[in-house]
Amino acid sequence: MNIEESMTANVECIDTDSSVYDAIERMVDKRIRSLIIGPPDINSGVITARDVVFKVLARGISPKDTKASEIASKPVVCIDKNAGLIEAATKMEESNVARIFVSDGKKLVGVLSMIDVMESSLILRARGTHAV
Amino acid sequence: MLFKKIISPGKKEQKVLDNLLKHIKLLCSACETFQKAVNSKLMRVVIDLERDGDIVKRQIISDVYDGAFLPYLRPDLCRFTIIIDEVFDLVEDAAFSYIDLKIDESLIDDCIRVARLNCRMSEMLLISLEAMIKGGDLREKALAIRIYEKKVDDIKFDLLKKLRTVKVNSFWEGKDLSDFISSLTSISDIIEDAGDHLQVINVSLR
Repeated sequence: MNIEESMTANVECIDTDSSVYDAIERMVDKRIRSLIIGPPDINSGVITARDVVFKVLARGISPKDTKASEIASKPVVCIDKNAGLIEAATKMEESNVARIFVSDGKKLVGVLSMIDVMESSLILRARGTHAV
Repeated sequence: MLFKKIISPGKKEQKVLDNLLKHIKLLCSACETFQKAVNSKLMRVVIDLERDGDIVKRQIISDVYDGAFLPYLRPDLCRFTIIIDEVFDLVEDAAFSYIDLKIDESLIDDCIRVARLNCRMSEMLLISLEAMIKGGDLREKALAIRIYEKKVDDIKFDLLKKLRTVKVNSFWEGKDLSDFISSLTSISDIIEDAGDHLQVINVSLR
């Protein structure tokens, strides 16, 4: 089982000039925790729920007056779609992130979260192929 | 080993067990063919496999009521077979709707993903049945089936949202598309039911 089979295939993006408020709205609406700023590309930035809460809300800064790109992390932590789950889990640990973007060349094609890794490891156990 | 302890592994029982495995293997083939057929012209093969599945289902039910297994196990084994048959029906319905259908570009990737997950679920069901026959634990397998089902549910949510934005040219085109998505995304629910029923059979053997 490779990453492509375990990931969530939708990569949600917002425009580079969007505000943090726009990002919050989109995350809540889509029930997701991270958004790519700009096109789904490995050179784009990413804004997470953690960034919003710690860098904006907790500091009393107005989300409507702050651009999402100002608090985004760049470049995104990503891994090739043909990589294995162990490699992905290791990269998550090294980068201290809860989800990692999946790339096909320069294009981002999905997101792999810790839950996805755990679920995939359970499936592999059930199939009798322990990979994680 | 439980199965072996409870039933004397006579010819009739062995025939039913072989046919149960054959039934689910046919389902795996149908799901796999369906997955490959999205983007090709293999759908008629799926319909043929459903007919083969029907034959195996009749044989299992007939053999069970001809005296295979203890009487208390017979209704559950038949119910399990009928649930598998319901999955076959849904795969066939999806294949029928698909034959003259042009699927919008925005939906195709999600449809392929659901078809692939359905395929994996049917394989997991086969692994579960094999484990039960050998007396193994089904807990991990049942969990894997539930994980797959949740993944399909997540895609279904997006798919239905996208579906509402797709422009259709006639009532029948819209109906076919709606029926196709409905059948495709319901397959996982019934496979999950089959997995749950297998658990019930396994528990009743203790």
